[in-house]
Amino acid sequence: MHTLFYIWRNLKRNKLRSALTILSIGFSLALMTVLHGYMAMQGEWGKEAEKYHRVVVMNSQGFSGQLPIAYVDRITSTAGVQAATPYAWYGGNYKEEQMPFAQFGCDSKTVFDVWDEFTIDPQQLAAWRTTRNGCVVDRRLAEKRGWKIGERIPLQGTFYQFNLDLVLCGVFDSPKNTDSLWFNWQYLDEGMRAMNAPGSGNAGTIFARVASADVIADVSQAIDDRFASSDNPTRTQTEAAFAQMFTDMLGNVQAYIRNIGLAVVFSLSLVAANAMAMSMRERTTEIAVLKAIGFSRRRVLVTILGEACSITLLGGLLGIVIGSSCLEMLHRLSSQLFPFSVLEMLGPWLLYLLATSAGIGLASGIVPAVRAAQLSVIDGLRRVV
Amino acid sequence: MIPVKYNVRNLRVRWVTTLMTVIGTGLVVWATVLTFGLVDGLDHALRISGDPLDLIVLRKGTTEETSSTIDQRVAKEVANLDGIAQDSAGQPMCSAEYVTILTKPRRNNGGTTNLIVRGLQDVGRALRPGFRVVRGRDVRPGLNEAITSQRMAERFENLAIGEKLEINKVNFEVVGYFEAAGSSAESEVWTDLRDLTGARRTPEALSAVNLRARDEAAMASLLKRIREDEQFKLDAMDEPAYFERQMTASIAIKFVGYAIAIFLTMGAMFAAANTMYAAVASRGREIGALRAIGFSRRSILTSFLFESVLLCLLGGLLGCLATLPFNGLSTGTANWATFSEITFAFRFGPSVLLRGVAMALAMGLVGGLFPALRAVRMPIISALRET
Repeated sequence: MHTLFYIWRNLKRNKLRSALTILSIGFSLALMTVLHGYMAMQGEWGKEAEKYHRVVVMNSQGFSGQLPIAYVDRITSTAGVQAATPYAWYGGNYKEEQMPFAQFGCDSKTVFDVWDEFTIDPQQLAAWRTTRNGCVVDRRLAEKRGWKIGERIPLQGTFYQFNLDLVLCGVFDSPKNTDSLWFNWQYLDEGMRAMNAPGSGNAGTIFARVASADVIADVSQAIDDRFASSDNPTRTQTEAAFAQMFTDMLGNVQAYIRNIGLAVVFSLSLVAANAMAMSMRERTTEIAVLKAIGFSRRRVLVTILGEACSITLLGGLLGIVIGSSCLEMLHRLSSQLFPFSVLEMLGPWLLYLLATSAGIGLASGIVPAVRAAQLSVIDGLRRVV
Repeated sequence: MIPVKYNVRNLRVRWVTTLMTVIGTGLVVWATVLTFGLVDGLDHALRISGDPLDLIVLRKGTTEETSSTIDQRVAKEVANLDGIAQDSAGQPMCSAEYVTILTKPRRNNGGTTNLIVRGLQDVGRALRPGFRVVRGRDVRPGLNEAITSQRMAERFENLAIGEKLEINKVNFEVVGYFEAAGSSAESEVWTDLRDLTGARRTPEALSAVNLRARDEAAMASLLKRIREDEQFKLDAMDEPAYFERQMTASIAIKFVGYAIAIFLTMGAMFAAANTMYAAVASRGREIGALRAIGFSRRSILTSFLFESVLLCLLGGLLGCLATLPFNGLSTGTANWATFSEITFAFRFGPSVLLRGVAMALAMGLVGGLFPALRAVRMPIISALRET
């Protein structure tokens, strides 16, 4: 306990230096918090998806391939599948904004079976099922935009030639903000056919709910086998793997982020070591006196190391606080890129950051600490700084 | 004016501190310049793709080739419009092209991403900056052959010469590598138009028309004609504008790059300030002596500021040099506008390096200002009395 008190007093001794070191470490670790937080969110997204036993079916060629709507029924009849819905990404513009939120065409009769963790008022659901051009949105999206039931939501098609004129029929609640709008796939398809536009009858992707986790692999294989020799062969994967595909698209950027992190950590160790060395240079006589009155070598070592670690840990905490506020702000701004709020994300990655700061403290403090511990009392008392 | 020798000698005497600060600053500048180099490389790949006289014609309402579909008949009418430049053989420089994206795996377990495959005819090659085949040969129509850039062959599976890329169960053999001045064409796989539409089972499909106008006046009139024709239902834009739009989609990366740079620089600023405060503190007597013999406050201030700047510039120089091994290293990421991969190379041009040096300068100036101010505020007597 006394050691901690002594450490604290030493930190306060040169407040300016301590403050600058803490700020320096804090800002750099704030950056690392944001970067690692972003990567943790992507990982979390995948893990969340695993809970719900959903698989995603797409054309094996990729997004530009067709997935005939007839596949939905055949997938539903596959053993192990509880429900399936087409899920076509519309990607439309709303007023002046380009693709401001996700828009999907799906089957109103089955979509809430596939996403059974979402809840919707039964009357609103019934209204949506009977309104050809109806749509439902995530409650948070409706609140953000100030939409009321009955609101008209026109969307201009970008790669679909048919523009949608939608009416809001209901709002659904989901555990995470999906920022999505769901409309009736039939409405889009009929419109496309009326225009004789190519690309009608395309389900885009198909999301299916599987009975339990252990049959997922078998079901995916069964679906792919079924369509393997058709004109439009499929590729079925878990929802988590599907999300991972998007993260993969970022490519080398992840490796780059990690390397930046390493460079920052190394640089910070030098900064902290510098500050500790400067501080120790001034205190040689003091350390000698401490040893003369009976402080053991080990105690001196522990005290100095403790001081170094305290500074870096304080810096780390500051960094985490700043970084987390930035992450929260980014989450409010763009929940597509930053799907989770920081409060939901508390996890091992934060501990990893704290451990990193402690590690920096150890690395920076070890040399001054050992030198102080080895210091000969006579030389120390004699030294004129 | 206190001679520069004084600062240089001081840095040398306290060489351990100097070294650590220089390395620390150097690392920060290295990370910053690397980020700027990445962003610049991405920018360059997009910017150089646009020839000011070239027009890209898409379906009205779309902004990307990958999401546009054009009728064959309409494309033929566009090719007959007045104002299109002619090549040496007297043919209009107008290329009807079909673009599709495939999900394909990268090499070395790099995951999968989307690949752009473009079907076009000979005339399309003249519309890309500096197109030339560098290895192997160009495709022969009707034989399901493909060409791509060396960068793409290194990044993706099945794209090396001799390997076969599967498109809708049809195998396309890669027969050559091409270059196109580092433009976005080097992020694509090219094949013959009919071969591709045949493989996709959509024989009449077209995505876009690329054409070159004779001159600026012709371009303006072509733009007007294409956009306003009721029958066409097309939109046209000049290439620079088309790629500008894709750059705005990658604005997120730029934003991240600048955010990284700012955070790191501020962190380094505090570190530099720390070093300078310690320097000032230990040189109290020196400063008192300098004041006593007649150096003005201003010259002492400038001297310490200069020392701080010198320290950080040394770090900056080190950091910039450390980025050289990365120059020209190619990498790739997602182009969210076309929803597919774009490959580009790190570019450390003068503007990027200058920005790195400017950040080092800022670190030195801002970090060193307050310590320098403290140095000159000390009253002479107490400064001389310090141990």
